[in-house]
Amino acid sequence: MNNPPVFRVRGINSINLSSFPLIVIDGVPTFTGDLGNSAANNVLSNLNPNDIESIDILKDASATAIYGSRASAGVVLITTKRGQKGKTRVSYDAWAGWASATRVPEVLNAQQYVEIKNEAAANAGLSGPQYFLDSINGQLIDTKWEDYIYQTGFSHNHGLSFSGGGDQTTYYLSLGYTEQEGMIVTNTFKRLSGRLNLDHKLTKRIKIGGALGYSNNDNVGPNSGSLPGQAFSTAGIGRLAFVTAPVVDPYLYDSRGERLPGTAGYNIGTNNQVGRGKNKQQTGFYNPMPLIDLNKQTSEANQIQSSVYGQLEIVKGLSIKSQYGIDNIRVENVTFWTPIHGDGLGQSGLAANTSIDYKRWNWQNLLNYDVTLAEKHTIGALVGTEQQRTITEGWGAQRTVIADPFFTTYQGNFTTIVPTGNFQGENYLLSYFGRLNYEFNRRYYLTFNVRQDEYSAFASGEKKGTFWGASAGWTLSEEAFWQNTIGKTVNFFKLRGSYGTVGNNQGIGDFASQSLYGSGLYGASPTIVYTQAGNPDLTWETSKKTDIGIVFGLFNDRLQGEYTYFKNVIDGLVQNAPQAPSKGIPGNSIAINIGAMENTGHEFSLSATVFRSGKFSWTSSANLTLMKNEITELYEDSDIFSATSGLESTNIHRVGESVGSIFAVETQGVNPANGQRLYVKADGTVVQYNHVVPAGQSRWTTLDGAAATAASLLADGKVYGPAIPKWFGGWDNTFTYGSVDLNVQLNYAGGNYIYNGSKAGLRDQRGWNNHTDVLDRWSENNTGGKIPRVVFGDNVSNGSALPISENVEKGDFLRIRNITIGYRLPANLLERANIASLRIYGNVNNAFLFTGYSGTDPEVSANGNSNSTPGVDRNTVPMAQTFTVGVNLGF
Amino acid sequence: MRKYNKNIVLLLALVALLIPNACQKDLLDPVPQNSLSDATIFATPDRFLSLINGIYSQMKSGQFYGGRYLVYGDVAAEEFLNETGNGVTALQVWNHTLGESANEVNNLWNAVYTTINSCNIFIDGADRNRAVLNNDALANQYIGEARFVRALCYHSLVLTYCRPYADGNGSNLGVPLRVQPEIGPTNNNLARATVAEVYDLILGDLNFAEQNLAASNGSALLNVTRAHKNAAIALKARVLLAMGRYSDVVTETNKLVPAAAPYKAPSGVAHELQADVKKVFATPYTTTESILSMPFTSTNLPGVQNGLGSYYNPGPRGIGDYSLNPKGIIGDTLNFSLADARRSFVLNHTNNKPYLNKFPAGPEHLDYAPVLRYAEVLLNLAEAEARTGGVTQRAVDMLNAVRGRSDASVQFTTASFATADELITAILRERRIELLGEGFRDFDCLRLLQPLPGKANVAAILPSVSEYIWPIPSGELAVNKDCVPNP
Repeated sequence: MNNPPVFRVRGINSINLSSFPLIVIDGVPTFTGDLGNSAANNVLSNLNPNDIESIDILKDASATAIYGSRASAGVVLITTKRGQKGKTRVSYDAWAGWASATRVPEVLNAQQYVEIKNEAAANAGLSGPQYFLDSINGQLIDTKWEDYIYQTGFSHNHGLSFSGGGDQTTYYLSLGYTEQEGMIVTNTFKRLSGRLNLDHKLTKRIKIGGALGYSNNDNVGPNSGSLPGQAFSTAGIGRLAFVTAPVVDPYLYDSRGERLPGTAGYNIGTNNQVGRGKNKQQTGFYNPMPLIDLNKQTSEANQIQSSVYGQLEIVKGLSIKSQYGIDNIRVENVTFWTPIHGDGLGQSGLAANTSIDYKRWNWQNLLNYDVTLAEKHTIGALVGTEQQRTITEGWGAQRTVIADPFFTTYQGNFTTIVPTGNFQGENYLLSYFGRLNYEFNRRYYLTFNVRQDEYSAFASGEKKGTFWGASAGWTLSEEAFWQNTIGKTVNFFKLRGSYGTVGNNQGIGDFASQSLYGSGLYGASPTIVYTQAGNPDLTWETSKKTDIGIVFGLFNDRLQGEYTYFKNVIDGLVQNAPQAPSKGIPGNSIAINIGAMENTGHEFSLSATVFRSGKFSWTSSANLTLMKNEITELYEDSDIFSATSGLESTNIHRVGESVGSIFAVETQGVNPANGQRLYVKADGTVVQYNHVVPAGQSRWTTLDGAAATAASLLADGKVYGPAIPKWFGGWDNTFTYGSVDLNVQLNYAGGNYIYNGSKAGLRDQRGWNNHTDVLDRWSENNTGGKIPRVVFGDNVSNGSALPISENVEKGDFLRIRNITIGYRLPANLLERANIASLRIYGNVNNAFLFTGYSGTDPEVSANGNSNSTPGVDRNTVPMAQTFTVGVNLGF
Repeated sequence: MRKYNKNIVLLLALVALLIPNACQKDLLDPVPQNSLSDATIFATPDRFLSLINGIYSQMKSGQFYGGRYLVYGDVAAEEFLNETGNGVTALQVWNHTLGESANEVNNLWNAVYTTINSCNIFIDGADRNRAVLNNDALANQYIGEARFVRALCYHSLVLTYCRPYADGNGSNLGVPLRVQPEIGPTNNNLARATVAEVYDLILGDLNFAEQNLAASNGSALLNVTRAHKNAAIALKARVLLAMGRYSDVVTETNKLVPAAAPYKAPSGVAHELQADVKKVFATPYTTTESILSMPFTSTNLPGVQNGLGSYYNPGPRGIGDYSLNPKGIIGDTLNFSLADARRSFVLNHTNNKPYLNKFPAGPEHLDYAPVLRYAEVLLNLAEAEARTGGVTQRAVDMLNAVRGRSDASVQFTTASFATADELITAILRERRIELLGEGFRDFDCLRLLQPLPGKANVAAILPSVSEYIWPIPSGELAVNKDCVPNP
């Protein structure tokens, strides 16, 4: 819970830099991402959604020029509510919700597990059965681990706000509190937030104002295994729910069947794994119960977002505005791992506290002139400067080897302490910009803007970037010829187009251009080691954005629509250019401006009042985006492979293909003659794999039994297709009947492929539990089995050791994301209670999903916001379905 | 009037703000506070030393001599059984299922070449900045240390990724030979040298090191954790053994082993066997038997799933990924008697499985990781003697020295062995006992082109099959277009 979202505006627009859009709250660009430890802490969640007045998404070059240097991936402008002159308005909003896991994989029960694993053991030449059914007090052990790990999480939320004001001063004041439980036990999120927005007319010409937002959030989480980098974590309890053997119990019992007291009551084996009981082989990784009960991971953030502005109208139409904003976050991450089991065992207990400090100030000064001449010529001119300084710091320490099991906090006693989480960064952006608008008689529109930025992270002499954009529009429906012809039907019609360049510096390291050496330890002696190969030419990544479109309204705007063609050509991509590992360059890469990529697409949207009669109305809006991404140039034309958590290489950047395309070796099911998995090599030869063979024989053979070389991802892998959708969109319907409203939101996407690594994990023939589809394994009695002959220890045939096409699936889906039904109580009833408005509603989020995808969720991302490993499902947790009831109350 | 003033003040304030403060321009050139610029690393004599320690620290990486490299050398053969089925703790090495994209294959290569590049940067930079040090002997000593580590790195690479020298006298493909500092984006492509060319570089480095390293580094700790003359000689003997140049092995080891007992290195650090082998692997790990080891402290540990103790110690001292194979050398009670002191390195755990107890510290794995040890020198000499001179008294003496210190009940004589082969078999067996867990088992099979024996349900790997050596990593093949994979 509270994992940061994956948020894309027109797809992936970079390879190594960020594709996350710039988020601007009330004019100040804010921080994004996860600042937590194993407990995720998405900093964007610090904003109380009740405080949001509007969200605008800027996509094209002209609109983004004002944030030009950071707008390559689009800009999301969030405006918070301001007070309105008039009577004080009080509103109270509350909801309560229940979240639970859906589409949970079906795994083997104890009997099936013993059958499969012993068959695998026999096939592997192990002598005799390795796994046994067992019982406690006459009760068969058949542990359904998911019941210990997943729950129905209860959440509730309260928001109270006051707004109003007089002629001179208006205000908006709000308080919010939310407390949420996840679908995984012990996972909670709390947020307490307050906001005061104030505007004051000092004189007729001077306006001042400001905003002060404070938020405290507190995340408590187990290691779920669903954050980027955690996919293969043996402590990820999200997957322990499915791979731990059903033939062992989480606890140990005495002869009377009572659970042994304290930590002795956990079933823990010798190898820091769940205890095996009578079984001769491993029965899983960690026992999740001591991790759930004894480990603690919390992340608490305090954030202040504040700004003040002053605005002076010098003469009519000419005004000057200065806004200074700060955005400060302090995060404290606290980790405790028990010494008795799990990740803490290897350190004999661990307590780590780290502190992260993000500080930013942003200062914008704008001079704006608007004038209308001769009633028909409207001219707007803007010049401005912006400075933004960001300082990031982290520090902390990790204490290990617990002095006494009593201690569970960093402040307790441990015998060793080492620093952890130390970093220091700073960056600075200095910009000058201008914009000129011209409009003639509401028919012709022209805009030109230009911006120059200097950014500290780029190389000396290469810090400056100049970006410009222009747009033009023509409202044909204002022309006489239009109005006299089809104007009655098509009441509004506008052509528009824009072109411009924008830069990208988002996600680049603060010192990325410099060659650096770090210092560490060799035993007790200080060291100096090469840590970063810099690039003295590193500069802005730029994109050229073209947009052409129409906007129209039919039947007096009863039907409105838009169409846009867009093209985004990204040049001088900052690529972590791969270096031959034999060169020994740190990280095997150097940041270089090389490589190019294109995103082209079409966006359609329609909104309509479909039906309106008496008390009933139906309004509907739908949108569709068709998009193609193609890499057109890479460093030395070398493919770049990317791996989930550094372990499973399933994605490739290749010239001519979509960024991070799914890449795997082709498999052709199972050889009905012997149950071996069939692989296709680059030259078309079909080879098969047998995990256990006598000495001198090859595991890999051709179909006639001759020794063959192993299938290789590098030599035999194929691109299966894009990992990012080629089409996506939504459809939103609102029905009202009198006081009742019903809203149904759908979204859909497809044309992409997913690497379902979770499927490989659930078919692995080590001691782990399997998906029930393994029951259809090949055997002499079931030569048509879809799953290879099970051989104990085999992690190749299922695709764990080598990504295979068996695990590549299409990602097409249609989801009914949200259904809300509301009822607005009649005003006459409320008046007596002095209530202005009252609405009650019920909501189901993630109501239905239609997909051919066999994994948990086709919108999954095991790798978070990574551009290079999208579309990978690896040990991710199932998706949540939430039911909510709520009330909106206004006084 | 009041209103007018306010307007003026505000206007002036705003206009002033529109002109960004000139001094803020410095903010565009930030200097990192916790890293050094590459331009300053040779600025002081202390930094020379820190760079040298940096090279050792990279060699000590948990992926390399800090742990995993030694583990790979042992679990590839028959002495250990996998217990945890964990795919990230050498399971594919044990199973012989390593593909070119396997993490073990890529991570070891990366760790070794990272160390090599640091050596090359140092060798080049130290030479150009000799004036800073103002001490030519010291400069050469440091350069000698860098060349020593580079030799060890290249030797690890050829042993792992290339056909053994014995297969065609080094005529097979070696690894890309990088001897220049790499700090920029060029030179991605470099073809593989031959095995023999790699060995030439190694021997050149070690000859330089032997001449320029200090005879002693001045303290017991530094004599174990940094290279000195005897370390260069001992390593050279190991390299020559791998090449099958046995008479040269005799020449080199004789520099470290006097003609008659007591066997104690006559020059440099006074290396000798300790009366009790357990002392070698016990704190403070700095006996004169250890020629080079990788040090660990509570604040400088091998890293999670890297430490030798993590692999071999059962919980809670380790994870116990590998137990000892009862059918391996520990099952040979005839030759490895139950009275042998080295039996104390075999722990019979309560779960009835034997575990290696040579690196017992845990859960913090503080035991030093051995790189070169005097016992190996004696066994190298014994084998080279037997291979060049047959059943000689010197060869038998060396074998007795190692065996006798742990098991006094057996004293061999030249009459104990009918043929040189019998003696050699005994010496190789002694290596399995003495060097168990120190990463030698696959080295001893490969250099002699013997199969890697099987264990449990994993079959033996014959020298003829591709799994006999590791594949060239996918990371290298994807970028270095002149590098070809192993057949």
